[in-house]
Amino acid sequence: MEPVNERELVERCRRGDEGAFQELVDGYKNLVFALIARTVLDRTRAEDLAQDVFLRIHRGLPYFRGEARLSTWIYRIVANVCVQERGQNASAAGVVSLDDERAAVRPPAVADRQFSDLELRDRLEKAIARLPAQQRLLVAAHYLQGVRYEDLAEALRMPLGTVKTQLFRAKQQLRRLLDS
Amino acid sequence: MFCDEVLETVELIASGELTLSPRITNHLASCRGCAAALESARRVDALLRSRAAPPAPAQFSSRVMSRLRRARWRSEQWLDWGFNVALALAGALVVTGLWMIMRQSGLATVSSDAIDLLGPGMMLFVRRISPSLPLYAAATALLGSALGVWWWAERDTTQAPRRMVARDHQ
Repeated sequence: MEPVNERELVERCRRGDEGAFQELVDGYKNLVFALIARTVLDRTRAEDLAQDVFLRIHRGLPYFRGEARLSTWIYRIVANVCVQERGQNASAAGVVSLDDERAAVRPPAVADRQFSDLELRDRLEKAIARLPAQQRLLVAAHYLQGVRYEDLAEALRMPLGTVKTQLFRAKQQLRRLLDS
Repeated sequence: MFCDEVLETVELIASGELTLSPRITNHLASCRGCAAALESARRVDALLRSRAAPPAPAQFSSRVMSRLRRARWRSEQWLDWGFNVALALAGALVVTGLWMIMRQSGLATVSSDAIDLLGPGMMLFVRRISPSLPLYAAATALLGSALGVWWWAERDTTQAPRRMVARDHQ
């Protein structure tokens, strides 16, 4: 979304224009949902959290000063929601095992590429679930089209270098988990 | 020793943020461990890039908007409640103020004198209407029973839907 349109839209939302807020939801829903669905594996929970994000946006719009880009502010809200969710489910997430499914469903002797791809993806999702909340969000956001390092750094209130280091460590950790 | 350095950079090489130097290329050609690590890093990078970005479900926007309206309705309820409380407090304040004014200005004494004056007259009035009191009591009881029957009949038809609505919100 262009910055001028963005400012206009925010102003209209602030004036209580319900249509404008619906426009905002329509404009960002896929990005917000994709980010959360990549961080929280349960799809129903992901939808609830994505809705929570928009309710928070609506509550926070009167206080949004426009110093940061709207998308940056939205990433920050998504990050807060994901970290809170992670905090609530920390004990459950801690017991995810990469080997559970692998042991239960072994591929046939003749390697079926499609099956092994699915298995690998499944293991990757489980490995991602083991990452700290912030790294999970970074991994989710970095590989979404259009999300820049700079926006992530601003949203998470981190120096750019820290974002890159965290992302590098997350990938290293994923490789080690998948190789182990 | 060089393996440690290469293993620290395989993620950057895999994502294209670092280009292979001739030294690393030569090392990868001769070290199976580092070559496997790079291969693995490339696989992770490719998997992350091809990870599905699920679109928001259909009706997502309308669900958000209805949650928003519900939240607004709830906050308006609180506003109504606050307004009613403020109104009651203001009423109590006015009554207390009037009472204090009456006390300080001596109006309260005048009004109690007026009650003393009118008291005997009121007693005379009650004595005069007392023979007709049973008739008034019977008429009031009849009206009360009719109202009771009407309330009972109305209650049966209106309470069932209310219960269902309450269950929907649980």
